[in-house]
Amino acid sequence: MLMYDFIGSKLVSFALIIFVLGLIYQGVQFFKLTREKEWILPPLPLETKPKKKTVGQFIVDCLASLKGTLWKTDPLMTIVTSVFHVCLILVPILLLGHNILFDQSWGFSLLSLPESFTNVLTVVVLVCAAFFLARRLFLSRVRAITTAYDYLILLIAVAPFLTGYFAYHQWFDYDTVMTLHILAGEVMLITIPFTKLGHMLFFFLYRFLIGSEYSFARGARAW
Amino acid sequence: MENSMSHQELKPVDTKQIREMLSRKKGKMKRYLSFCAHCSLCAESCFLYMAHNKDPQYMPSYKAIRSLGKLYRKRGKVDRRFLNEIKGIVWRNCVLCGRCYCPIGIHIPSMIAFARSICRSQDVYPQLDEVSSESWL
Repeated sequence: MLMYDFIGSKLVSFALIIFVLGLIYQGVQFFKLTREKEWILPPLPLETKPKKKTVGQFIVDCLASLKGTLWKTDPLMTIVTSVFHVCLILVPILLLGHNILFDQSWGFSLLSLPESFTNVLTVVVLVCAAFFLARRLFLSRVRAITTAYDYLILLIAVAPFLTGYFAYHQWFDYDTVMTLHILAGEVMLITIPFTKLGHMLFFFLYRFLIGSEYSFARGARAW
Repeated sequence: MENSMSHQELKPVDTKQIREMLSRKKGKMKRYLSFCAHCSLCAESCFLYMAHNKDPQYMPSYKAIRSLGKLYRKRGKVDRRFLNEIKGIVWRNCVLCGRCYCPIGIHIPSMIAFARSICRSQDVYPQLDEVSSESWL
């Protein structure tokens, strides 16, 4: 019980502080390592205003532009990874049990999804993770760059969901599973800023702030 | 040419220079290497990967990890044999066309180019008779 209290209270605060400070540190380091982009030539002005598109034309154009992306080369992985990442962020934030804890601890709570729905989303996360594991094990190109560290990172990302699923269904000893669930969440929070899970932050920094051919935005900074 | 080859092979590797070069770009390159998810989604964007029957060793991430990644892991303490091993990866298996696409936004060509610079600093680069032979392709 002492262990449960420690993991469920002090260690949670510690993990959250490390998570937030770690992300701030990485963000600050990024801005230190990059500089504002110097435009050698001013961007070309738009000579003509783009034509207004109908909704149908807009959809057709969007679908056509997808041909040059991962939707064309690896649609299954693209769908699975998109669903996985959305659920990975949303489920813990919009889970009823977590929101009750937010309310008890900080006096506020976010929108909560029905428990039966978050249960389904948890299964979706687990199925997606099984897909990633299968890719690592059986796809030669993924195996070529896979190390034990990759399996560990996958485990760190999935463990909170697996233990959460067990806890929700009250499989095994509930207290032990809950302790492991909290611990798994804390490990995940602590490791995010300092491991490859940090792509959670760097995806946005690289794809939006660094100017390159594949940037989502114009890219205001350069290394 | 023979003289040049023997000069290349005999010259000791300046590990201090390599370490300095690695250190200079550590912030950017180590982050690129650390945050690579090893997803292999960059594979199909490489025409050499596609042209070589989807051989994983032509995959952009594989090339970066096996060259620059190893240099960082060994902290620059490498010998000529190691540099000759990665020579093929950085000089033959990549043409630095810049077409590789990483969903996270890692700029793989800059990593390969940097690995090339390190190799070049130690006189490790392909010779004319090598690149003109069929075995190079």
